[in-house]
Amino acid sequence: MVHNGDKMSEDYIIVTEKLAKTYPGGIKAVKGIDLKIKKGQIYGFLGPNGAGKTTTIKMLSTSIKPTSGTSTIMGYDIIENSMEVRRTIGVVPQDLTTDEDLKGIENLEMVAKFYDMPLNDARKKARELLELVDLTEFGDKYVSTYSGGMRKRLELIVGLIHDPAVLFLDEPTLGLDVQTRTKMWDYIRKIKNEFGMTIVLTSHYLEEVDELADIISIIDHGKIIVTGTSEELKKSLQGDIVEATFASPDQAKVFGAYVNAIDPTFPKENVVRMKVKDSDREVPAIMQYMMKNSLSPTRFNVSKPSLDQVFLDYTGREIREEEAGDTRKMQMNMRRLRR
Amino acid sequence: MSGLIPLTERELKKWYRNPVFFITGLLQPIFWILLFGSSFNLTSVFSGAGAAGTREELAVFGTTSYITFVLGGILTTSSLFTALFSGTSIIFDRRLGNMSRFLVSPIHRSSIVFSKILSTTVRILVQSIILVGAAALIPGGLVLSNGMSLLGVLIIISALIMIAFSFSAIFSIIAIRLKRQETIFGIINLINLPLLFASYALFPSKFFPAWLATVAEYNPVSWSAQAIRYVILNGTLTGSVLQQTMYYMLYLLMLTVFMLVVVYFVSEKEIRD
Ligand SMILES: Nc1ncnc2c1ncn2[C@@H]1O[C@H](COP(=O)(O)OP(=O)(O)OP(=O)(O)O)[C@@H](O)[C@H]1O
Ligand SMILES: [Mg+2]
Repeated sequence: MVHNGDKMSEDYIIVTEKLAKTYPGGIKAVKGIDLKIKKGQIYGFLGPNGAGKTTTIKMLSTSIKPTSGTSTIMGYDIIENSMEVRRTIGVVPQDLTTDEDLKGIENLEMVAKFYDMPLNDARKKARELLELVDLTEFGDKYVSTYSGGMRKRLELIVGLIHDPAVLFLDEPTLGLDVQTRTKMWDYIRKIKNEFGMTIVLTSHYLEEVDELADIISIIDHGKIIVTGTSEELKKSLQGDIVEATFASPDQAKVFGAYVNAIDPTFPKENVVRMKVKDSDREVPAIMQYMMKNSLSPTRFNVSKPSLDQVFLDYTGREIREEEAGDTRKMQMNMRRLRR
Repeated sequence: MSGLIPLTERELKKWYRNPVFFITGLLQPIFWILLFGSSFNLTSVFSGAGAAGTREELAVFGTTSYITFVLGGILTTSSLFTALFSGTSIIFDRRLGNMSRFLVSPIHRSSIVFSKILSTTVRILVQSIILVGAAALIPGGLVLSNGMSLLGVLIIISALIMIAFSFSAIFSIIAIRLKRQETIFGIINLINLPLLFASYALFPSKFFPAWLATVAEYNPVSWSAQAIRYVILNGTLTGSVLQQTMYYMLYLLMLTVFMLVVVYFVSEKEIRD
């Protein structure tokens, strides 16, 4: 294999440049994002409600047209070659898309026909996928009899029926209970490993993105704020947190004077909290410093920054505040169903 | 159009599996016939005049059975009402999220709308067959006093297909960007009754004031109702009646082709989730 500059760009399955969407009424949902997504990666968008995640996915999956900017998926332009793009990608939209009045298998077969799959292949693939998400016995049941979790699992495999090269998952576990969510993660990992698929995932669950995504982009107010691996993002906060409690305030003061401490604070007189660049390297030095100064903490705690802190640092707000929105959105989905 | 066949299959499955849709769809035409058959009894209206009354009745209606006269109108009207389903089901697909799936699939967007139109046309044809059957069975119902020809049958079927297609297309276009069913029901209330009463569907042209007769001439409901009526009343068409029927068929064809083109372009561009 010869590698040159041109070949390098082929490693990227999705490339976007200044992709933007303004909805009628002047709502700037996405304000120009640049992406480069590598083959075989799980790429996670993390962002609160209204950040522009769904709008981005809808543009990439050709269901709405961008206001400006460009994007290619596997070399196909999302505007010029939208049909080819649709053939290449699988999409699991945020909405529930399966038809309740049809059986699970009928939904899968209908979608397979959209891709001109021969019926025999479609049946075989459908059975395989039902097995993958443990729905084998439910394939012949009407979707109206499915539970919320089963419905989400069916949605997941409808997007896979034609063996897409890229899979878009828009909030795949929205509104699911913790147990079902963990199960969904297993399925998503299985899909990545068994089919070698590139997956673009959106979520506003930190743990989900942390757990699944190889690369994370934090998105807020229609802009990508920062991109990196979970490790990189946490490292970018420049430091782990060390917290120590001492018997006396004097000892605490001495500890606070440690030379490599970043922004030491004293939540209580005898408690010190400080950031250090890299706790793995720093802790031995801290130990020596304490021995040298005869400091003996009653409590000592080192914590790596979590994605929560990353989010807080970059966006200035807690993503958890938004969580109340989930049940609301799920309820909206459900209410739509009952109308 | 890889989407048209699977999407139409879906629509038809949803129709025949849903007992409420299916049974009301079948009962509706029977009600129409029973209602019209008993509330408009021509013979009793004209009977006071004896033999002269019957003659006058024949001159105005072309038959002594009102059901025979009105069947073409009822077939057309019931298509008009059933065609609404193609519009409401587009709105439903959008509300329920199914539309999101269609929009990311490699199918022509127009095939989403054409599948509604096609399946509604099938529904209307099935209803029409039942309606004709009911009209024939009811006492004082359909009488083909001048027989029926193959050309006649073809005219009836093609008139029904064209009017069903056009009405379904109109309601689909209306629904293409709507998010709420209420809106389309409002629009329907606004247009259905004028369409019905400013047409020759229920009464012969002789009953109309001149201005209304002019309006009725341009009303597609009249075209289909009259074409079917001429065939039913005359059996074999000749001379000026044949010519007039062919004109109505031509208008229907032009409307159908026009709607086909409009639906294609509008739905390719405008359909959203
Ligand atoms: N069809 C639309 N018309 C007008 N504005 C819209 C439309 N869809 C989304 N928006 C607006 O665009 C912004 C981004 O919405 P989007 O659905 O992309 O967010 P999101 O990140 O997916 O949020 P969520 O977590 O709630 O799904 C929001 O302010 C939303 O109100
Ligand atoms: Mg969203």
